[in-house]
Amino acid sequence: MPTLDLETIKKEIIDSQLWRSVFRGGVWKDTPRDRAGHIIGNVWLHLHPVKVRPRALEWAYTWGMGGISFALYLILTLTGVALMFYYRPTIGLAYRDIKDLEFAVTLGMFLRNAHRWAAQAMVVAVIAHMVRVFLTGAYKKPREFNWGIGVLLLTLTLFLSFTGYLLPWDQLAIWAVTVGTNMAGATPVLGNEGPLGSLVGMRINNDVRFTLLGGTMVGENTLLRFYVMHCVAVPLVVGILLILHFWRIRKDSFSAAPYQANEEKMDVWPHLVKREYIGAAATTLFIMVWSILQNAPLEAIANPNVTTNPSKAPWYFVGLQELLVYFDPWIAGVVMPGLIIVGLIAIPYIDTNPKGVGYYAWKERPFANTLFMLGVVMWFALIYIGYACRGPNYAWYWPWESWYMNKPAPPPTWSVFGPKGVGAYSMLIGIPLMGAIATAWMLLPKLIQKELDGKKTMGAFLGLLALWAAAGMAMGKMNAIQGGYLLFLVGSSFYFGFVLPQRHIRTLDWPRYLVTMVLVVSTMSVLLKMCANLAFNIKYVLTIPSISMNI
Amino acid sequence: MSYRKLFIASNALMLAAFVWAFAKDFAAPWRPYQKKYYEMSADVLEKKAAAEKDAKKAADLRAEAKKMRRSPMEIKQIIAGDLGRFDRCVTCHVGMDEYTNPSLVNDFKENPYKSHPKVDAALVKAHPFTKFGCTSCHSGQGLATTVEGAHGWVKHWEKPMLKGASIQGSCVKCHGNFETLKGAEIAAQGKKVFNKHGCQGCHAINGVGGVISVDLGDIADKPFERIAGYNFKKVRIDGKELPNEHHDSHWNIQNWILAHLVNDPAAVTPNDPFAHYNAEPIPPSGMPDYTKEISRADADAVVAYLSGMTKEEVIPYRYHVPGPAPRQTALSGKDVYAKYGCQGCHGLDAKQGRRRFNAAGEGQKEYDEKMPEAEQFEQMNLGIEPTLPNLVGTYTHEELVKKIANGVPATEAKKWSPKGPMPMVYMPAWKDKISKSELDALATWLKSIAKKDDSGF
Repeated sequence: MPTLDLETIKKEIIDSQLWRSVFRGGVWKDTPRDRAGHIIGNVWLHLHPVKVRPRALEWAYTWGMGGISFALYLILTLTGVALMFYYRPTIGLAYRDIKDLEFAVTLGMFLRNAHRWAAQAMVVAVIAHMVRVFLTGAYKKPREFNWGIGVLLLTLTLFLSFTGYLLPWDQLAIWAVTVGTNMAGATPVLGNEGPLGSLVGMRINNDVRFTLLGGTMVGENTLLRFYVMHCVAVPLVVGILLILHFWRIRKDSFSAAPYQANEEKMDVWPHLVKREYIGAAATTLFIMVWSILQNAPLEAIANPNVTTNPSKAPWYFVGLQELLVYFDPWIAGVVMPGLIIVGLIAIPYIDTNPKGVGYYAWKERPFANTLFMLGVVMWFALIYIGYACRGPNYAWYWPWESWYMNKPAPPPTWSVFGPKGVGAYSMLIGIPLMGAIATAWMLLPKLIQKELDGKKTMGAFLGLLALWAAAGMAMGKMNAIQGGYLLFLVGSSFYFGFVLPQRHIRTLDWPRYLVTMVLVVSTMSVLLKMCANLAFNIKYVLTIPSISMNI
Repeated sequence: MSYRKLFIASNALMLAAFVWAFAKDFAAPWRPYQKKYYEMSADVLEKKAAAEKDAKKAADLRAEAKKMRRSPMEIKQIIAGDLGRFDRCVTCHVGMDEYTNPSLVNDFKENPYKSHPKVDAALVKAHPFTKFGCTSCHSGQGLATTVEGAHGWVKHWEKPMLKGASIQGSCVKCHGNFETLKGAEIAAQGKKVFNKHGCQGCHAINGVGGVISVDLGDIADKPFERIAGYNFKKVRIDGKELPNEHHDSHWNIQNWILAHLVNDPAAVTPNDPFAHYNAEPIPPSGMPDYTKEISRADADAVVAYLSGMTKEEVIPYRYHVPGPAPRQTALSGKDVYAKYGCQGCHGLDAKQGRRRFNAAGEGQKEYDEKMPEAEQFEQMNLGIEPTLPNLVGTYTHEELVKKIANGVPATEAKKWSPKGPMPMVYMPAWKDKISKSELDALATWLKSIAKKDDSGF
């Protein structure tokens, strides 16, 4: 009787024609050649290099955020395709199909929850990935282009999530999308409510918002458009960009960290692959448990005649919606996001600081890190305010306050330069004056050649502000809260917008310097306008109603 | 922990999470109800088999019981496509499912096991479940398969299952003849009360009636978002606050309508008479206080009647039953007064004008800016609509007809507090609503009830 030799059986199977026709390579001997063959011989793993630098493997370096974002993209694809079997994008059926998923389809609720929560998680993961790449300076030469692709992928992630928001066709969906798309109507030149729009013949039924909606309001065509964009068009573009993104990661090498002596590259199989697997598995597990424990929201069926109060955009756009309190839609909804995207893509080309590549380096890159993190903090602070502190009529309600409580109407506002503003020819004064201030602000930090003492300059400026506030209070024209706003918001914008650039980017060449300053000054203008609005009830600093141009 | 252990642990946990998800899905709340129904029915059949003397019949019954016990668990639904209903109620209420229980009768006493009451009544026979579904009459969320969800006791489902007499509103949806219909007596009484007290003077129903307040033709569809300032918080029914939860099952349109009849509507919708929250003052609800005039039972009847006022459901034309043809007999002046709801403002039989917030009139103190707000409010609340017998004597017949035909715009109101809000109610122009001959009759009657002073004028 023949003995049962496992090794022989294994060898027989692996050497069989069937096995060899499917899997390349023979019996696994864990030699370097085997490990390389595993990567090279597998189409999915082949996007990896065979070996990576040990630095690229450290959790505390990448936090796995890029990989987790991609894992979430895969989860979204799988659950999304599964959901497509049950969902019909028409206004008569969409909502009912979601109810069916909730009440009748096996695992339907779980699938929908997983899709919803993975989408939210992906937005967070992609932003975290960007912050990590920025803080480790990993966008610097030769990775500038890949950083730009990443910014586009972030934008598309938000857009994917946004288009998906409409599909359940409930009140939450239709009003969030109404808020979001109304901003498109305020695009300068291309939107019917934007500056100069009416001059080039934009109407409600031919502008960019109309193109997005397939109508003048959110309706049947919008649902179909968003469905096609959500399920086909945008994922296709994301897929193409992802391949490009991964390819460049491989070509530009996995880690930007400076080389160390005796650094020996490690095999991707198993060292990187096992980390990727654990990251993806943990992500999947997290999404699964979240989906079991919490159900995705579904409100009453969409009703275009009944506006919810308040109507809020999806949470990642609530920051922009909060900006609407201070700015007209063309600034809050178009110029600001446009500047954010263009500014982010421009960062690698204007940041010439050679230090801090491949490691966290706050002290070596004080200007870049401070300004970038200021932007991130402002983005999330605005989201928090808009999401948690805004109630009916978009009035301010603390998170612990009941929305049943009535709030007084906001005090009347006024405009500084405009038809009813200061002086008889206020626009004639206002435009040159604002231009002069902006130009001076942009040029001064570089024109003052000697580095200013940060503490002394700041002290002097805050002293002046305090003097102004004290004078205002003494004359009874200002109260302590207004003084506080003045000191905090104007003081911060002076520090971040003047003192820091003066100290750190004074020596930059003029083109890079000016681009940086445009971004810095626009960021600070948000703080300044918040101060003008909150403390002094100023609606517009400059308004030209004839061309819908309000700043 | 090594990566090998992590690998094993994460895979095991993912599998466990999947099993957990599946188990949660499998433990759907409708299953125990359906299972128990089959078991109870099988028990009944077996009891019958034991009592049966004919062996063959007993064996048949036992086989039937066995089959019943082994029935597969499934979501059952009635598809009433005509009415856009997909009602899964019979998933738990198996006794009302014609396929499981063809006779539609059983001996169970408790919900969800018991059969539909009165299946032999003409009412149920005329509305076969397979054609009408459940929610056409009962409301609720037919697609849902959870207890709270299906009865509509959840957030964001604004038409929970109708309770008590308000289900008669569902008759009104299709039956124009509901006033003479057996089974719709309470809704019919509701209509009578509605018209008797002059509701139609301000609230038109599908365009028939006054224009001062909202048309109630679709009041049953009123979205809660439109209930100004979340005033459900101020509703008191039988002196009690509604349970404190937005969109709770008690926060429904029936209680909102009832709130207007068992509370002073000005307390339910106080608005902002001193402009604390708005740029301009807004008076409280202009609706009169009916708490003393309409009994609780009559208020419920009005709620039942108005529960049928819906435009939302797409009810095919062939489902509608026409109402009686309008009578063409000439009305007396007093009847004209009642028909058009003049009593809504001027009082039953024109005896006493009702409240008109912040109108200047008799019995009020002199306006004083320094008066505390509470006292000002009291004084504003004393303003009333004209008490007609005191007034009509000063008009000629023609002047009276003209006044009713053209109305008096709100802007001509004499306010008690010049800073206070414009009174909510006003005299609308009736010329397009009341015919010439009716106007004449009305004016004649009004002249006849004019108060005469001692000299006979």
